[in-house]
Amino acid sequence: MADPARIKPEVTSERATSANEEHPKSEESEDVPATAKPTEEDKESSSQDQPKQEVKSESQAAGEDEEEGTSGQPNAKRLKVEPEKKKEKRHKVDEDEIQKMQVLVSSFSEEQLNRYEMYRRSAFPKAAIKRLIQSITGSSVSQNVVIAMSGISKVFAGEIVEEALDVCEKWGDTPPLQPKHMREAVRRLKSKDQIPNSKFKHILFH
Amino acid sequence: MADEEDETGYDEEVEDGSSGVDVGHGKRKRLFSKELRCMMYGFGDDQNPYTESVDILEDLVIEFITEMTHKAMSIGRQGRVQVEDIVFLIRKDPRKFARVKDLLTMNEELKRARKAFDEANYGS
Repeated sequence: MADPARIKPEVTSERATSANEEHPKSEESEDVPATAKPTEEDKESSSQDQPKQEVKSESQAAGEDEEEGTSGQPNAKRLKVEPEKKKEKRHKVDEDEIQKMQVLVSSFSEEQLNRYEMYRRSAFPKAAIKRLIQSITGSSVSQNVVIAMSGISKVFAGEIVEEALDVCEKWGDTPPLQPKHMREAVRRLKSKDQIPNSKFKHILFH
Repeated sequence: MADEEDETGYDEEVEDGSSGVDVGHGKRKRLFSKELRCMMYGFGDDQNPYTESVDILEDLVIEFITEMTHKAMSIGRQGRVQVEDIVFLIRKDPRKFARVKDLLTMNEELKRARKAFDEANYGS
C-alpha cells in the first residue's frame, strides 16, 4: 500500500488549489517516484485508469501516458475526473488505515488505552497560543494560524519526548524523564537541524 | 544552546517552577503545565513526569513558537503571520507538514459539515 503520509500532501495540495498548472505537476510527482515502490504505483495507476477510461481513449497503465492524456484534455473534463480518482484512491488508503487502527486499538491493554487516549486528546489551549502569537506579532492572527501552530507544536513536543526516551533507554535509566535526558535530546535534534535557531548566524568566511 | 538550558536549570533551583512573577527572562508564568503533563504521558513518559522536565519542554515549545512566528513574519506578507507562511516554513519536515495539511483539511470539512447542518435545520 502506498504511504499515506506521502500521498496525502499531494492529494490535498491538488484539491486546495484549482489552478491548472497543479494537475500535471502532481501527476508527475506521483508517476516519477525515484526511490519508492514503483510496482505499487503501477497497480494504483491501473486501478485509477478505470474511471478515466470513460473520458479518455488512451488507457495505458504507464504513468507517462496518463500525464500526456491529462495535459491534452480540456480543462473542465480534467477537473471533473481527477478529484474523483484521487478521492477513490484516498478512500481506499484511509479505509485500510482505519481498519488497521481499529484492530490495533482493540488489542490494547488498559494502560495502553489510557496512554493512547492522552495522546489523542492532549492539546495546547488555543487561547494561550493565540495570545502568545499576538504578543509577538503585535497584530491579530487568523484562527487557521492558531490551529496550525498548535498542531505543529504538539508534533514538536512529541519529537523531543521520543528522542529523550531514546536517550533514557540508551543510558540505562528508567522512565520519568530527567532534565539531562531532555537536554541531550535537544542537542541531538539540533545537530539534525530539527530545532530552529536563528539566534546565531553562521559566518561563512571570517 | 547549552547556556540557555543551564540558565533554566539555575532558575528552577531558585524558584520552584511554580507560577511566579515576571521577573527575569526565563521566569515566565507557566502557560502549559497541565497540558504538557498529559502530552508527555501520551508520548511515552511516566504518568507523573518531573516538573523540571515539563518546564524545560515548555520553554522549548515557547521558543519554537517564537522562532516560527518571527520567521513567518519575515516572509510572504511582512509583519503578518499567515497559514501559507507556516506551511512554507514547515515544508522540509515531513511529519509536521503532513500534520498541518491534515488539520487544515479536517477543519475545512468540519466547517462545511456544520454549515450544511445549519442550512438543513434552517430549511426545515
